[in-house]
Amino acid sequence: MIKSLMFWVLAIFLAPFFSALILKVKAFFGGKKGPPLLINYYTLVKLFKKGSVYSTSTTFVFKLGPMVSLSSAVTVLLFLPLAGQAPVFSFNGDLLFILYLLGLGRFFTIAAAMDTASPFEGMGAAREAYFPIICEATLFMILILFYVLTGELRLAAYFTGSQPFGLWQMAGSPMLFVVIALFIILLAENSRVPVDDPATHLELTMIHEVMVLDHSGPDFGFIELGSFCKLFFYASIIAQLIMPFESGYLALNLCLFTAGLVVVYLAVGIMESVMARYRMDRVPKFLLTSFALAFFATVITLEFIK
Amino acid sequence: MNIPVDTILSLVLLSILFSFGSSRLPGLIKVLAFQGVIVSIVPLVIGHDLTTGGILFTLATLTIRGIVIPLCIYLAIKRVAIRREVEPIVGYHASLLAGLGLIVAAVVVSHRFEAPSSSASVLLLPTAIALLVAGMFLLMARRNAIAMVLGYIMMENGIYLVGTTFSVRALHIVEFGILLDVLAGVMIMAIILQNIKQTFDDVDTALLRTLKE
Repeated sequence: MIKSLMFWVLAIFLAPFFSALILKVKAFFGGKKGPPLLINYYTLVKLFKKGSVYSTSTTFVFKLGPMVSLSSAVTVLLFLPLAGQAPVFSFNGDLLFILYLLGLGRFFTIAAAMDTASPFEGMGAAREAYFPIICEATLFMILILFYVLTGELRLAAYFTGSQPFGLWQMAGSPMLFVVIALFIILLAENSRVPVDDPATHLELTMIHEVMVLDHSGPDFGFIELGSFCKLFFYASIIAQLIMPFESGYLALNLCLFTAGLVVVYLAVGIMESVMARYRMDRVPKFLLTSFALAFFATVITLEFIK
Repeated sequence: MNIPVDTILSLVLLSILFSFGSSRLPGLIKVLAFQGVIVSIVPLVIGHDLTTGGILFTLATLTIRGIVIPLCIYLAIKRVAIRREVEPIVGYHASLLAGLGLIVAAVVVSHRFEAPSSSASVLLLPTAIALLVAGMFLLMARRNAIAMVLGYIMMENGIYLVGTTFSVRALHIVEFGILLDVLAGVMIMAIILQNIKQTFDDVDTALLRTLKE
């Protein structure tokens, strides 16, 4: 229990570091030196030192938004098994809880954006509400697949199994499609490049960034930290799927897990460097691809199991 | 389950979904070329004709299916400067969903067949059926003539897989005959397309309705 808690704290502390890897990769592809690897910590410290500015037209919902979105992201990490370690909390059906916790965070971000009554933020909120619908369909498809494979509804049960190859042994090649589908979900949920550009300067084309334009100081720091944690959550799920080795030694497990994480973050960075973002009406098709992959994997696996 | 064969066959099924979702002709041709290569190595992976003749035959099929035919079509588009859109009648999202439904249906239907393939791979027959139907779908749901040709080729890939299911000795000759037919067909189509293009300045098949005596 203590160990799991330590892992949890470690995960929150390391999340900004891994996000900086993406920036480094992008800088490498651009032929630049790039910001230091600790840049996100500097940013967070800078933001927490500042004071907040609230518009007089906003209500308590606006102040609640960043806090709820951070706490939902951090709570979700409590359920995440890290490097074969049991998570802090785990109960039957906690996957649904996790999905709706993430949904709660999103709801409050959207509500806070609507509270400012800025037309740009309303536009971003509409997009943020629309795209995750398809993501959710994919996630539930993957959930069904995992449930069929293991008969468990706990997130921990999928990654801390006694088999060395876990889910791969049962499902085989369709797991590859699940990994790709999850990667697309990661890109969409964390507003990375083909869906949304985190570094863009034009409000009209933003999804996530435009919703947090009016937040400042510590509030903005909360949002940033929350988004790092959320990215870490998705990335570590994929990392544990692509590195499903259970060696029995904590140090070795940790190394493999970190290697998996680095691979995922590098993949995100490379994706952002070589691709342009999609036009807004192309995004649903991109997300639908992930649903198609997940559905397809489920159909094939059901065929194998028979 | 047989892991290499299943992996390859799932890639084939995946290529169906990609071909339904791709809006540009060059992309569609690449998907079909990939599918051709993958489909033609299936007999090798299943491993029931690892003789010199069998391997030579497979390599020949691979060259024609994966390289020659796609290249022909690609050059045809280049030459006549056809518009790059596939001009769907059924939209891409609907096509993707239809593709998923089609794969499920193929899996369900394949249980009705008493095929001798089930020992090789559970996916072989479903993939073959899915390819046949998917080729038909591309024929019906795209107005661009090149996309229709690609639909034919996808159907041919499906027929080849069905053939692999009932592997018999004389099969090679029959297969090769079919393949040569398709190759000739593709070349003829390229010429016809050029003519359509010259007459109508487009390869939209809907325009053919305006032809009169």
